[in-house]
Amino acid sequence: MRVALATHGGQAAAINLRLPPRVLDTERLPPEAARELRGLVAAASAEGAGPAAPAPAGDAMSYTITVDDDAGTTTLTGSDTALPPAFGALLDWLQRHATG
Amino acid sequence: MPTSHRISCITPPYILTRLLDSDNEAIRQAALDTLLATAQLRGEREVRGLIAGALTAPGDGRRSIFDCDHGTFLPFATLVRSEDDGPVTDQSVNRAFDGFGVTRTFYRDEFERNSIDGRGMRLMGFVHRGSNYNNAFWDGQQMVFGDGDGQVFSDFTGSLDVIAHELAHGVTEHTANLEYHHQPGALNESMSDVAGSMVKQWQLQQTADQADWLIGAEVFTPHIEADALRSMKAPGTAFDNKLFGKDPQPDHMDRYVELPDTPKGDHGGVHINSGIPNKAFFLVATGIGGNSWDAPGHIWYESLKASNPNTQFQDFADTTYRKADELYGADSPEQQAVKAAWAEVGIQVTTVPSRRRR
Repeated sequence: MRVALATHGGQAAAINLRLPPRVLDTERLPPEAARELRGLVAAASAEGAGPAAPAPAGDAMSYTITVDDDAGTTTLTGSDTALPPAFGALLDWLQRHATG
Repeated sequence: MPTSHRISCITPPYILTRLLDSDNEAIRQAALDTLLATAQLRGEREVRGLIAGALTAPGDGRRSIFDCDHGTFLPFATLVRSEDDGPVTDQSVNRAFDGFGVTRTFYRDEFERNSIDGRGMRLMGFVHRGSNYNNAFWDGQQMVFGDGDGQVFSDFTGSLDVIAHELAHGVTEHTANLEYHHQPGALNESMSDVAGSMVKQWQLQQTADQADWLIGAEVFTPHIEADALRSMKAPGTAFDNKLFGKDPQPDHMDRYVELPDTPKGDHGGVHINSGIPNKAFFLVATGIGGNSWDAPGHIWYESLKASNPNTQFQDFADTTYRKADELYGADSPEQQAVKAAWAEVGIQVTTVPSRRRR
């Protein structure tokens, strides 16, 4: 499973426009971390779309998480002002583990 | 037999929220009553968010700083410093607290504005948000700051202009309420950069010529080659490095960047095209000379209050020209500086100057 995190907008919007998504591949992770990531992806995918995002707020960032696996491609989205719990947990994990 | 009633709100919520800022107390109360009823009947999260400021008891902008402890769910954050408390050991908390204080005093002393909404709205700040969080934002009710990832970015409370920038988003929301996309969104961003830069200059007692006109000069870690997030003096020059390339901000309408109105497109490049009105303000401030928060700041602030959610660059330029006339007179040096500044960024003011008021 390949998981890519793209970050949009925010105070560093001009920089985020230029940076490529941060990518993690479960094949290259320690077994425990890979298991954790798969669980978080499954929970976020099952959660479905959260409440409709409010109008964009000043400097709030948005996120696109793209998951590629044998079943195909899944795209999950959220923003700083509309973070469904499971999406937030996956985002937090990725921000701690995906460094480049 | 049970009956059901469909309650319709004739006045749209955005007008009602605008009425919450009315100088007339009876109008404010009527608007609040209507919005409260709407929120209760419909349970609308968004409506409740919009009226949060009005529900909060006025407190002359009393400050409360909360520690998120790296979480993202703000209700779980811990209150760590209130208005009457002394400094704490956590410097992020103290910087947010002090930054709010400087910005609050700036608005009060220079523009006779009592906090974000003009009626003493409490100033709520949340620090240490999330993990490796490279941002600060205004969520419609409060200001939120990340610690940065420690690789590229450091703590966003490190820049006074960033703190003032976020607070100014609240001021814009309670005045023109500029929509956050395309040109109105870029103006929204520019209003925050203008306020952020003025607050920093005011704190340092710098004239327009002495100031660096940088936004977020302190948010990068020492090993990143970047001057700042943005330069108002020279948009497009804040950074140029191998890691994230060259600053894409334009400084002229000829180089306006068309981007899609999507999160990925920064809602039409609101943080990109803000370079154009940012440069115009810099040119007005240096053209008039002296302190940016005097005549230039007053022209911009009065123009913000006279704007609306859909104000475009041209509209705003015309309004600043008219306000320069109203405040300082037709063909005054201030009005001439405004006209010249907008022309230099590719916008010709179209307002016919009115006769000088006495």
